[in-house]
Amino acid sequence: MKNLLHTPARLLMLSMLAAAPLFSACSDNDDPTPDEDNEQITTVTYTLTPTSGGAPVVVSYRDLDGDGGTAPVIGSLNLAPNTTYTGVVTLLDETKNPATDISAEVRAEADEHLLVFEPAPANLLTVTRTDRDQNNLELGLQTRVVTTGTTTGTLKITLRHQPGAKNGTFTPGSTDVEVVFPTTVR
Amino acid sequence: MRIQFPGCPEPTWLWLGLVLVLGMAGSWQPARAQAPAEACALSLSGRVADHESRADLPGATVVLLETQQATQTDNAGNFHFHLCPGLYHVRVTFVGYEPETTELRVERAVVRDFRLHPNAVMLRGANIRGERVTAPVSQPTATLSGQELQQTRGEALGEALQRIAGVTAIQTGPSIFKPMIHGLHSNRLAILNNGVRQEGQQWGQEHGPEIDPFSAARLTVVKGAASVRYGSDAIGGVVLVEPKPLRDSAGTGAELHLVGMSNNGMGAASGMLEGNLRRLPAFSWRVQGTARRAGTMRAPGYYLRNSGFSEHSFSAAAGWRTDGYGFDVFYSQFRTQLGILPAAEVGNPSDLLRAIARPRPLETGGFSYAINRAYQQVRHDLGRITGFVRTGSVGRLSATLSQQLDYRDEYDRNRPRNNNLAARNLPELSYTNRTSIAELLWEHRTWRNFTGSVGLAGTYQANRYAPGSRQFIPFYTSTIGGVFWIERWQKDKWLLEAGARLDRRDLQVRRGDRDANGAFFVDRSRFQYTTPAASLGATFDPTAHLALNLAAGLTQRAPAANERFSDGVHNAQYELGYDLVPGNGALVPETALNVGLTATWHNNPRLNGEITLYQTRIIDFIYQVPILPPVVTIRGALISRQYQQTNAMLRGVDLTGSYQLAPRWLLTAKGSVLRARDTRADEWQILMPADRAEVAVRYDVADRPGARLSQRFVQLGGSAVARQTRVPANYAARDYKNPPAGYALLGLQAGTMLHWGRLPLEVSVAGSNLLNHRYRDYLNRYRYFADEMGRNVTLRVRVPLAF
Repeated sequence: MKNLLHTPARLLMLSMLAAAPLFSACSDNDDPTPDEDNEQITTVTYTLTPTSGGAPVVVSYRDLDGDGGTAPVIGSLNLAPNTTYTGVVTLLDETKNPATDISAEVRAEADEHLLVFEPAPANLLTVTRTDRDQNNLELGLQTRVVTTGTTTGTLKITLRHQPGAKNGTFTPGSTDVEVVFPTTVR
Repeated sequence: MRIQFPGCPEPTWLWLGLVLVLGMAGSWQPARAQAPAEACALSLSGRVADHESRADLPGATVVLLETQQATQTDNAGNFHFHLCPGLYHVRVTFVGYEPETTELRVERAVVRDFRLHPNAVMLRGANIRGERVTAPVSQPTATLSGQELQQTRGEALGEALQRIAGVTAIQTGPSIFKPMIHGLHSNRLAILNNGVRQEGQQWGQEHGPEIDPFSAARLTVVKGAASVRYGSDAIGGVVLVEPKPLRDSAGTGAELHLVGMSNNGMGAASGMLEGNLRRLPAFSWRVQGTARRAGTMRAPGYYLRNSGFSEHSFSAAAGWRTDGYGFDVFYSQFRTQLGILPAAEVGNPSDLLRAIARPRPLETGGFSYAINRAYQQVRHDLGRITGFVRTGSVGRLSATLSQQLDYRDEYDRNRPRNNNLAARNLPELSYTNRTSIAELLWEHRTWRNFTGSVGLAGTYQANRYAPGSRQFIPFYTSTIGGVFWIERWQKDKWLLEAGARLDRRDLQVRRGDRDANGAFFVDRSRFQYTTPAASLGATFDPTAHLALNLAAGLTQRAPAANERFSDGVHNAQYELGYDLVPGNGALVPETALNVGLTATWHNNPRLNGEITLYQTRIIDFIYQVPILPPVVTIRGALISRQYQQTNAMLRGVDLTGSYQLAPRWLLTAKGSVLRARDTRADEWQILMPADRAEVAVRYDVADRPGARLSQRFVQLGGSAVARQTRVPANYAARDYKNPPAGYALLGLQAGTMLHWGRLPLEVSVAGSNLLNHRYRDYLNRYRYFADEMGRNVTLRVRVPLAF
């Protein structure tokens, strides 16, 4: 073997072999941790209180495990005909403990957000945004809802995130929430 | 960069330094004079001349491929070697001539003359002494080097590779090109950067290879499976990014590249400085660095907002090389920041459909170099030590150790609403991938026409995401051990090659998840696979102008972590790994069988070319398919893409040819056609390259002796890509938009060598999409939102310097 590997080369090879474990000499036994810095919305609640008094109607969309996995729990909205309601939208991130109130963040940055309410069919109910941002553009966390005849349909609530581009219309920005509630007026 | 591996911070590099010092100390003794065995004094000599004029060619390079010995012909074109008996491959190269490789049996003194054919096609890159044969010889390969490579300077790696027939890329705007060979990409392609398998984050289609193409002197593509040598991921092929070997003649040299592009204001500068010490001829070194910066790209009629990028990279290498042994160390760092088109950064399907419905993006704006959210920030570090020992009468033993760190941060379009979080400006996705690879290779000496090598390879990889960031790919560690053996038999006009490999992979996954009540838990799983690979190849050279090659291979590839466990929303699509689909078991390895036949006509005075016919059958082909019903998320109902297994059949033809129309007029053409079927569902495969062809006419202006300009050329070319009509049935349910129409583009380029004092400057100007044609390409992920780049003029200057 003597002339198989002459000394410098042998030393080189041996030192490289000796070095091999050092390349990976750290432990990788750590576990993933919850995504605490990841702001998400798990829950949308729409609370409708009749202006004439009475018990509020509450409907919510909840997806506690986030996107995918177990399907979200989507409630149905049951309203009385010919009634006016005061509506309040609440957004929560319930993966955090305690839950983060995203609607408070939306209110704080009202000039970057717009909630859009789209009943289908259009005569299902009328939703009017009653709150405004510092630029006097509508926001939509607070609403007035008026029902007329008995119908069934859906109500789509969209939260548009429009930093630096809000102009009162739907178009600019991107969508952070888009939930659809089955709705019955009877 | 946010992540540090616990217990694994910077000291890795300290260790590397220590190892280096140890290695140097170990080898810094005067090499003992090795008495050559008497048998190893056989003379091989000859003369190199021009085939037509029979004029001597002084300065031609003659290399013995087996021993790496190299010499240059003297003033009379003569060369001379002293050799052990055996079978050798002698390669003779000279600038402006077709290289020639011949097999020689040396049993007594041999005299062999070479007559080289002038290369009218192109001036190939300066040939390199001590060139290593890295690509397998019995497989179709294509190379970009010299002037051809020079014409791609300033482009991304995946963009440059598209010059080769059969190679395309999955593109994301102007900056991200993920190479695709014969319709296969990502986990089915191995990219070797300076001999080390590039290990980044292959899971995203918008993740380009983290490599500075300026560092390469040659780009080689091996078409078809090369899994025996490069590991089971090389089902589709291999890309070899090879720098120039370290300088082996005393002196200092430098090279400077400058590139400017008109369309997006891209500027690139790359410099290289290398040297070899006269006092210490075994020691060579090189440093190299590149900066590339681009602003907003312009489609015909509007700007693509936030499409700029900024890239910085450097590398350093030092080597010690003697006849008997050698080693070198290499370190490189690549950093890039890439803007993402706002229209392409959506998390909601209605937004996506609205963006797609617009003929041009909503937000266009003007020209700017600024890169705003959304953007990607990537850094890739590579360290490598490699050494070889010529084991006297037995062969050559080499070892390579490398470590790679890949950091990928992806910033969403909007910062978090929470002011405290927003102020920290954290990336929403933040991944770190660390890979250590070791390889030991023994190449035995020629024995009865047999040459071959046996190798051991090990890979350890850990993938993590930053605490607090979003999971998409889970934590995983993957350990792979492999052993391979390749033998080659060469006699007369025949070369046969056979190889086999066995890999064992251990994949441990730790995945964070939430139960139905939102409680966080960690799901641990572990998988082990043993996968074989085998290859057979035959090359037959009936004449000096024709070569035929038949290659066949079998590869089994174990599924990667992303194919099993990806989970989350990426680009408004919900992606789910196979194992997470309720009711699915574990993904099984896929098995590929491929056959390729290549015929090459070469060194003919007029017509030269190459045709490759191939077929790849993949059983249990792992691919992504949209699944109904869509997944309902708080942002609406998202198309869900899940990994599935099917059987696939890919068949295709690549054609490259040139015809010398007249002494200074050369016509070149290339084209590729691929037909990819899902044989289980009996339909076409999705996202496969459309048929394409390219034709160019080149005129080389005659040189006048002593003139300031030489090697002048003008080239007019056209390229055409057809509409991809071979797509799955019911396409509307599979994709948001039908494949775009076909297109044809016109390009013109001109170049010259400008002798400025003693400096030979290589200058060229190239215009692409000259007619400012509006088009979209099926393989560009921006095709849903925006057109491709409009007219662009690129100026390239290369300055070689010698001190």
